[in-house]
Amino acid sequence: MNDQAGEAALSLQGLVKRFGATRALDGASLVVRRGSLHGLIGQNGAGKSTIVKILNGLLQPDSGSIAIDGRQVVDASPRLIERLGVHIIHQEPMLVPGFTVAEALFLGDEPRLGAGRSPVVSWRTMRRCAEEAIASRFGLALRGDTPLDQLGAAERQIVQITRSLLKAPRVLVFDEPTASLVRSEANRLFAIIRRLREEGAAVLYVSHYLEEVRDLCDTVTVLRNGRDVATLDPARTSVAGMAALMVDRDLGAMFPTRSSLPGAPLLEARGLGRSGAFADLSFTLRAGEILGLTGLVGSGAKELVAALFGLAPADRGTLLLHGRAVMPASPSEAVGLGIGLVPEDRRRNGVALDASVAENATLPGLVRFVRRFLLDRGREQEAVRGLIARLAIKTPGPDAPVGALSGGNQQKVSLAKWLGTGATLFLLDEPTVAVDVAAKVEIYRLLADLAAGGAGILLLSSDLAELRGLADRILVMHRGRLVAELRAADATADEILTAASGGAAGSAPDGIAA
Amino acid sequence: MTAQSLSRPLSSGQMPPARLLRIGATLLLIVAVGLFAAMAPGFATASNLADVAEQSTVLALLAFGMTLVVIAGGPDVVRGGIDLSLGANLGLCDALYAAMSNAGHGDGTSALVAVGAGAAVGLVNAVAIIRFGVPPLLATLASMNACAGLELVVTQNTVLTTDSPLLGIVAGPGALGLSTTDWILVAMTAALLLVMHATPVGLRLRAVGLHPRAARAAGLPVAAMGAGAYVAAGTLAGLAAIVQAARLSGSSPGSGDILLSVVLTSLLGVVFSRRLQPTIGGTLAAVLFIGCLVNGFQLVNVSSYWVNGIEGVLILSVVALRSLLQRPG
Ligand SMILES: Nc1ncnc2c1ncn2[C@@H]1O[C@H](COP(=O)(O)OP(=O)(O)OP(=O)(O)O)[C@@H](O)[C@H]1O
Ligand SMILES: [Mg+2]
Repeated sequence: MNDQAGEAALSLQGLVKRFGATRALDGASLVVRRGSLHGLIGQNGAGKSTIVKILNGLLQPDSGSIAIDGRQVVDASPRLIERLGVHIIHQEPMLVPGFTVAEALFLGDEPRLGAGRSPVVSWRTMRRCAEEAIASRFGLALRGDTPLDQLGAAERQIVQITRSLLKAPRVLVFDEPTASLVRSEANRLFAIIRRLREEGAAVLYVSHYLEEVRDLCDTVTVLRNGRDVATLDPARTSVAGMAALMVDRDLGAMFPTRSSLPGAPLLEARGLGRSGAFADLSFTLRAGEILGLTGLVGSGAKELVAALFGLAPADRGTLLLHGRAVMPASPSEAVGLGIGLVPEDRRRNGVALDASVAENATLPGLVRFVRRFLLDRGREQEAVRGLIARLAIKTPGPDAPVGALSGGNQQKVSLAKWLGTGATLFLLDEPTVAVDVAAKVEIYRLLADLAAGGAGILLLSSDLAELRGLADRILVMHRGRLVAELRAADATADEILTAASGGAAGSAPDGIAA
Repeated sequence: MTAQSLSRPLSSGQMPPARLLRIGATLLLIVAVGLFAAMAPGFATASNLADVAEQSTVLALLAFGMTLVVIAGGPDVVRGGIDLSLGANLGLCDALYAAMSNAGHGDGTSALVAVGAGAAVGLVNAVAIIRFGVPPLLATLASMNACAGLELVVTQNTVLTTDSPLLGIVAGPGALGLSTTDWILVAMTAALLLVMHATPVGLRLRAVGLHPRAARAAGLPVAAMGAGAYVAAGTLAGLAAIVQAARLSGSSPGSGDILLSVVLTSLLGVVFSRRLQPTIGGTLAAVLFIGCLVNGFQLVNVSSYWVNGIEGVLILSVVALRSLLQRPG
């Protein structure tokens, strides 16, 4: 295979794509060579996913050409592209709701009874192959007959990635594959990607984790406003340099300097537990404090956040909010207590895709705009414009449906939705997943402002840089228990990861990228 | 690193209520049958139950067609897959068969025309919906009207009486003391169950209905499969027409009235399935449930108008329950 190394496996020339007045792509070109890992970076809405969708035949370009292995592809369709050996892991989940893990993995290519092409599906083989495929690649014991709706975001993403790996891809395209993966899973994925490269595959890799792109990729193309503005060698470019190219200006410090001292206890948990999820959690979150929280899949950290928001209430222990014993039994009760949640899975819980940006952004705080039973549209619009500007949400206007925004901009709307409520306790579940660096800086500044204004923030994140740069203290969970409380200022990445993977001394699994 | 333990669902939301619903519906079915068995003399006899199956065959074939369309079109009651033309299609095919037969054509030709007409109506629906993007509700409402009109043209709004060897066989006795009609039901159910569960067709059709973009990304011919469901439903209506012709000894106006029962049974069938989704097995259970209800009421001398009322209430409760269960949070 390696005799082909270096030839263009995938060549995109002068792609243009308009959506009404929006120019998603404005003459983007890109060449991915065989045996190479090619990074594609750009701000939210730069057009990365649009390239991926055109390549896949889900969208037709207005002009421009696609060549695979030197052959021009006309009328690309998902089927044609797959036949040419190109497999794509989309940013938006392409998993059928209600399907099981095995069904999702093998849809369209179901194992048959007997040798070869009998029309009868072997459901048993399908389940077994699914379990083996996931276990051997990600070390995850997932039952083949588990319905997808019972999986977390990371597990669903793993299912989606495994689906493409099963097909012996020659060109593999990832659109933000690690957005919902924790470090150890992401590292397994990197190992797999590197192995594919050795075997001669070409990989196009879209991500907002610039460090990840720098460590993984051989070449990086920067996309800005639908055009490729630079193609660079990541070994010779700093992360800050890449970021500056993306946004066309210098971003300055990633994290805001925080000066205010934490005040009175805002939230106190005493021996909090929920059977099967977490046990014996005691911690305090002070007003004006940003408390980091992290853990691997199954650590119970997500469940803790769900419990605090009343989604799946704790069944043991006590919870004090402003010194008063509370135990929200439903999200509406939590909102009533001044608790806001930014959920991770924005497509399922965060935003309504058919509703407009304005409607989404002001939904929880709608009450504030009601004056004598009538909605005050003027004030609503004004508030929305403020939020759009503050978070730099790229949208044609406040009335555009959220479904037409890029993935990262949808995430920002979900944030706007809660930041506008005037809550005093914010629960954030991976708030910067899929968000570009410029917006990250903006979100960090916003969170610091909220804290400075006296709010308490619980920041659940698997981005270690984010935890260390933004939080005051970091809580680490493992198998449902609190195993470490670290001062963010002196916690090292190794320390956090070691605690998260069970405290076993020594290096973290698979050689974590810094 | 060893396999990590998994996070179990946060809100074990969907499943338990679904199971509750399925168990509840099955219990209701058993209670209803039990009540009739106790109250109506002759209900629980083998011959009566075979009669119920026989009387249910036309409805079952149409409901199977509706089930295929709903699976491939998605479960949304308003925007998803639905075929309102099935009842009128049945009437049209029945009339065509009777008219052809009376005009002296052989069974082969007449049956071919009847089934072909059913399939053609399905194809028209498919073209309107898949090719031109007309909402299924509207497209099939229009073709329902067209079918009803054509039926009147063929029959001049009169009863057509026919007799033919084929109809004799279909209405006549078959093996094991069951009628041929019973066996048609058994055979069609078995065939559809096989196609939907043993081959990949069922899985792929579900993908097309529930998440067309994912189905397309998986390389499935989404449009062709959606169209196929409508054509299959039309063909089933054509087959049902021959059974109907055998039962009525021809064709009589008003067969389109069966539509409400078809919609009901395909909706009701959902509660008999494990994942609250339309399935052939669930639809069969619903058809037999309604069949028992009608038959039992007849045996205890309750007016059949009550059955209409009960059907209406059932439709409302099933749709309401489903919306409740599917509401997030
Ligand atoms: N279906 C659509 N209708 C209208 N506009 C669209 C549609 N899809 C994408 N766009 C617009 O095209 C632009 C590019 O979107 P795209 O999804 O390619 O961005 P992206 O680079 O992938 O961003 P992100 O990092 O947030 O995922 C955005 O401004 C987006 O609003
Ligand atoms: Mg994107």
